[in-house]
Amino acid sequence: MSQVVFSSWGRKVVDHRVSGGDADLASLKLKLTDSYLEQGKVGAFFGWDGIIVLDRATDVVAMAAEYMTRVQEKYCCAKCTPGKRGTRILQDTLTRIVSGQGQESDLDTIEEVADLLQSCKCTLCMTSVIPVLDTVKHYRSDYLAYLRGERSLPATKVYKEKLTAPCMDRCPAHIDIPAYIEEIKSYRFDDSLGAIRRNMPIPAVCGRVCPHPCEKACRRALVDEPVNIMVLKRVAADHEWMHHKQPPMVPKAATGKKVIVVGAGPAGLTCAFYLALEGHKVKIIDMLGEPGGTVAVGIPDYRMPRHLLRRDAEIIADLGVEIEYGVKLGRDVSLKELKEQYDAVFLGTGAFKSKPMGVEGEDAGYEGFSAGGIHYLRAVALGEPIVTPKRVIVVGGGNTAIDCVRVALREGCEDSILVYRRTRKEMPAEPYEVDDAEEENVQFEFLRNPTRLIAENNKVVGVEVVVMALGEPDASGRRSPKPVPGSEYVIPCDLVIPAIGQDPDLDYLGPEDFGIKMTKWSSIVTKGGTMMTDCAGVFAGGDCEYGAMTVVVAVGHGRRAARAMHRYLTEGKAYLDDEDAMEDIVNNFGAFDPNENVGIIGHLHREHQPKISGAERAKSYVETELAMPESQAVREAERCLRCYRVGMVAVA
Amino acid sequence: MITLKINGQTVQIEKGATILAAAEKSGIRIPTLCYLKKVSPTGACRICVVDVQGAEKPMASCHTPAEEGMEVTTESPRLSKIRKQVIELLLVNHPLDCPVCDAAGECELQNICYEHDVTTQPFVAEDVNADAITGWPLIEQVPNRCVMCEKCVKVCHEVVGADALCVNLKGDRAFIDKDLTKCEFCGNCVQVCPTGTMISKPFKFQARGWELSKVASTCTSCGSQCQIDLHVKNNRLFRVTSQDGVTINDGNLCFNGFFGSDYVHSSLRLTAPLLKSGNTQRSVDWDEALSAAATALQGGKVAAIAGNRLTNEEAFLFQHLFRQGLGCNDLDSEARFGLQRAYDLLQHHFGMQGGTAGLGRIAAAAAVLVIGADPTAEAPAVDWLSQKACRKHDGKMVVVNARTIKLSQYANVPMTCRPGSEGIVAGAIARLILDQGLADAGWLGANVANLDELRTALAAVDIDQAAAACGVSRALLEEAADLLGRAPSVAIVFGGDIYRESQFAGTLGAVLNLALVSGALQGEAGGLYPIGAGANSQGLLKMGVASDLLPGGQPAPTKGRDLQEILSAIESGEVRTLFVAGANPLAFPESRRWQKALEKLETLIVQDCLASDFTDMASIVLPGVTFVEKSGSVTSSAHRISPLAAAIATCGDARPDLQILGDLLARVAPSALLSAAQLSAEVERCSALPAPVGTLRAAAMPLAEPLPSPVLLAGKDLYYAAATNSASAASHEVVPGGYIALNPVDAAGLGVKAGEKVKVTSSLGALEGPAQLAATVPAGLCFVPYNCADVNVQAILPFGSNAETVAISKA
Repeated sequence: MSQVVFSSWGRKVVDHRVSGGDADLASLKLKLTDSYLEQGKVGAFFGWDGIIVLDRATDVVAMAAEYMTRVQEKYCCAKCTPGKRGTRILQDTLTRIVSGQGQESDLDTIEEVADLLQSCKCTLCMTSVIPVLDTVKHYRSDYLAYLRGERSLPATKVYKEKLTAPCMDRCPAHIDIPAYIEEIKSYRFDDSLGAIRRNMPIPAVCGRVCPHPCEKACRRALVDEPVNIMVLKRVAADHEWMHHKQPPMVPKAATGKKVIVVGAGPAGLTCAFYLALEGHKVKIIDMLGEPGGTVAVGIPDYRMPRHLLRRDAEIIADLGVEIEYGVKLGRDVSLKELKEQYDAVFLGTGAFKSKPMGVEGEDAGYEGFSAGGIHYLRAVALGEPIVTPKRVIVVGGGNTAIDCVRVALREGCEDSILVYRRTRKEMPAEPYEVDDAEEENVQFEFLRNPTRLIAENNKVVGVEVVVMALGEPDASGRRSPKPVPGSEYVIPCDLVIPAIGQDPDLDYLGPEDFGIKMTKWSSIVTKGGTMMTDCAGVFAGGDCEYGAMTVVVAVGHGRRAARAMHRYLTEGKAYLDDEDAMEDIVNNFGAFDPNENVGIIGHLHREHQPKISGAERAKSYVETELAMPESQAVREAERCLRCYRVGMVAVA
Repeated sequence: MITLKINGQTVQIEKGATILAAAEKSGIRIPTLCYLKKVSPTGACRICVVDVQGAEKPMASCHTPAEEGMEVTTESPRLSKIRKQVIELLLVNHPLDCPVCDAAGECELQNICYEHDVTTQPFVAEDVNADAITGWPLIEQVPNRCVMCEKCVKVCHEVVGADALCVNLKGDRAFIDKDLTKCEFCGNCVQVCPTGTMISKPFKFQARGWELSKVASTCTSCGSQCQIDLHVKNNRLFRVTSQDGVTINDGNLCFNGFFGSDYVHSSLRLTAPLLKSGNTQRSVDWDEALSAAATALQGGKVAAIAGNRLTNEEAFLFQHLFRQGLGCNDLDSEARFGLQRAYDLLQHHFGMQGGTAGLGRIAAAAAVLVIGADPTAEAPAVDWLSQKACRKHDGKMVVVNARTIKLSQYANVPMTCRPGSEGIVAGAIARLILDQGLADAGWLGANVANLDELRTALAAVDIDQAAAACGVSRALLEEAADLLGRAPSVAIVFGGDIYRESQFAGTLGAVLNLALVSGALQGEAGGLYPIGAGANSQGLLKMGVASDLLPGGQPAPTKGRDLQEILSAIESGEVRTLFVAGANPLAFPESRRWQKALEKLETLIVQDCLASDFTDMASIVLPGVTFVEKSGSVTSSAHRISPLAAAIATCGDARPDLQILGDLLARVAPSALLSAAQLSAEVERCSALPAPVGTLRAAAMPLAEPLPSPVLLAGKDLYYAAATNSASAASHEVVPGGYIALNPVDAAGLGVKAGEKVKVTSSLGALEGPAQLAATVPAGLCFVPYNCADVNVQAILPFGSNAETVAISKA
């Protein structure tokens, strides 16, 4: 682990320039990657909360000048006076100093202008002065050396910078969230959607069913409540189809390269979208009869109307992407064939295998025992002839379990019961979805774990459960449940649906797996953020790579894979470019400080989209969340603090 | 309401209002620079910062909502320092060209520097400003004067909806740029610019702001009649502006309001009475001209035509002169082919004399249907209000037009229908609303006298046949019906494409029936709005300038010859003297027939302000004046009566039109003369809104099949909205002249490139003009604007028609 020469990160100064002390990054809880791709060591990092110097030889004055130049010339939006002019003055002042033209009064100017930048409209320019001020304060002698003509600018250094924001960084697809929210503030919904589509081609989906990890990193929450980032995305996405507008994207000239994408789920669609925009000829195959993968058959229509999912897929098809349905890899076509016929392959095959519960009777083939939540949801979604009986027990605490209990109600069951071994607080499902289920009269049996299926005449009539008690927190931080001996009892039911997770089904890899490695959770191994497997030209992403995760993770994978595949197709090598590399460095480092004092007052409530309320809604598949009126969206967008910031590394 | 304290003073304000609004309400002034009330807050300048107890950082009062119990301080040494330094930053590289800057004396940057005692400029930075942009028509942009307040960008996007302006580049190089293809040259960017960044080229270097007198008046370039200020000096009009907040148009102007009145000082102005002897016109004195005119008028076989540039007073006196002074009922106006058709049907069916009163109700409507209208060209204020209903108030918009119009992009349901099929669309939507049970049955039962007829008429509509006939999918019709049927209030805007077409009765009938079933006539928001008529067409009809309307706008028991009958009578020799005030028959349909007929007249008396091919034909020319040289009142399409102010002296020997008409009356019938008081009492009486009638009547809607392709459609172009535009240099700078707009695919099929000559041939003859390639015109259609003498579309259009099946070829 690299030694830290100097750090002012988080307003905590650690200075080992003289003492040569022994603080390393880990001991300071700084997750700074210490090398940059294969180009060299990270010499220093400048960012929104200070500077970290790892290489003693770093010229922090030169770096400050370069940092401010990039902030002003590449990122400053010019939409507030202090930011637009102030950073220019700082840039020019620092440039003057490093070119030997500075005066000592310039240091006062830097401090004075930096102070004025606290009045900026957003945090981009406001935070950019923090590392610069830290250098003036802690590296004053280096400045004086320049001012006295004792030092001159070193030979060109390599710097890499990245614009980010806490939400944008936390989003697995790294959508430029402040940008799309800013457009909504200005009533520019088309431009907002344009900003979203730079990273996310299925906005109608992620505007509805994204677990929105971004909102956990929203600085507005430090003032009052987080911005309703997901719903604002929906507003932008809905605006387009609600006005019968055609999307504006136009693919680049054809490259002549052919790509096959396996799976029309979020990862596959995303990968196809960005490859098609680059001019590659893309074909998608999918085992289902419609697009969307798990989103189509795993998320019920009352949360994600499929006509909008289909529209997002049609938009991708309109870019020249061919989609063939009903074709399953390993059954109808082999990976070997695909590899031979195409210049690159993307595997986005999802995770469709339900995990077993490990209870007695599970393998007995009882009538009334579902193969799994995902199977049940798919059967309903595809209109397969299944009958949902009067009493249904769903086992699990995740979103799929919640979807199952709510779908069961819509399929005519009278008692829809969710059995979960921990308490409501520990449920991995989104709290609002649990609330929604409760509003629809779903019954919850918390701290209960199934131990045995009870069957009569080979037909399930109940589940024996054991009462659980919460013990100490486990590795995930959740308190692990322990069975209370002798507390078993039976809950009668007609159908049991286990919904405790899914695994990828990688049977298609077979014996000729081209060296593609799997994890012990039977997911595909990819390398170094390029999403390329150990087989050159074969990429993978989404649930089949990560294990069952979220739509937005799949989108992030699909986009990253498309970028790497484009380089593979055009340059013969899949690698990370500076944007990818800095995205990963910043993501690893983290851009959100939950303890920050934002310094403004709030009291503005988060705006919520209207919703059909009451148990009545559980009688149909009509979307329960209604469109947020645009004027309300503008009001919500106004709450965004635009927490932009720029991080920059010096590569030693 | 919430209560907060500002500088210790307790203030109450509605929830959601900003600190700035609360301060304003309580009379506490917070300095601002980028704040513009009519657009969303930008928060760019940071001058309005205030301290809020509990917040470490100063907060921008323009976009921080006031909260219950908040304690705000607007003045402190810290705030003063921030404000002063921010202003100092604004001055970095700001040029010292105030002496020749257009904004000098009315520059908000100057004012704020002065107010904050900013007398030095301590900061320095490299000047990276872009060069001045001088290549745009009419508007110049000087980036180094810009304070990046974005008022121009926001007014362009949020109010006008042109969306032409944007911030280009990053950092200190950033400047306001423009997509010229989207610019509507409304000048609102110039109006809202706090400095001399966005400037009017025609005004540049012409006058200093402080030398100009501002005279409040009314814009007469369309029926919306926006409130304006005329800036004058030495009997010259230098510019036109409008004031935010206090005007009906909230300070917004269109191209014609801001730039279009340059015709006032055109070299085409008629400056002296003319009398024709032989083939030449010579200047004479007024006495001679008036005598000649009076003699001719008294000679019998007289008819008269008025144009919509007349004021209410002039219009009343015009009909008084002929009816009372000369006993002649053969008088009509150019509204005959336009607004009067809507006026008559609205009067007959709904007891309304024109549209609903008050355009503001459009912005308050929950849904707006724009059918057979292009508000951007026909009534820009209606364009902005329709957008406002949707952009700011979550309203829904349905656009039905034969072309793609600007508002189509803002429509929830944009429909491009075949030309002339708007009535079919309206009928189908009305039937669907009724079928879906979305009409207010109780209200219909209580208010519609012939509800059975309405139901029968709508039941006869076959939706699938209608969809096929109008070329719009059934799904779109259903979506429109759902949206309009469910909206608690509906505004229906219809324009020239509806009431100028030959089958207008059925088309308009369908629109009226749709108004009934959609609830457009209910409640306080929305209504029924005919647009696209000329300046004071509404006033003309109310004053009885029509062969079949009495003063007050009621149907006349006996009618005289209408426009078409006057033409026939001239041709047959039954009319030998024609008096035309403020109109041009060569811009009427069948203009070639008019031309021939006019040549047969014994005496053609023309009262007008601009010379034209038509005034050249006159035996007697009586030079009238423009709207800036006369006083009087005008009536908007939404029934607002507004005053005109005589802001400058008349041009040369020209006389106010009212005076000319009065002088003629004095000569032909002194006993019929009216005092000023009598005249104004008559105008007031005639202007009254009709009392609401007890019951409404649904209309018959015989709908004809749309015309077979290719079709010529005539309509308004914003830059040639009125005849006066032909004398406007600004109009020519934006659009050099008439054109024939074609779909690019059709043009390619004809082998015609942009600018090349195209020939359009109707049953009345051929017309040639340069091709304009426009994807907004669907295949099978060509569009030609009115009011362009060089491509006079009226030459090949028959009476009472705006569209014809034609042959199109390369010329």
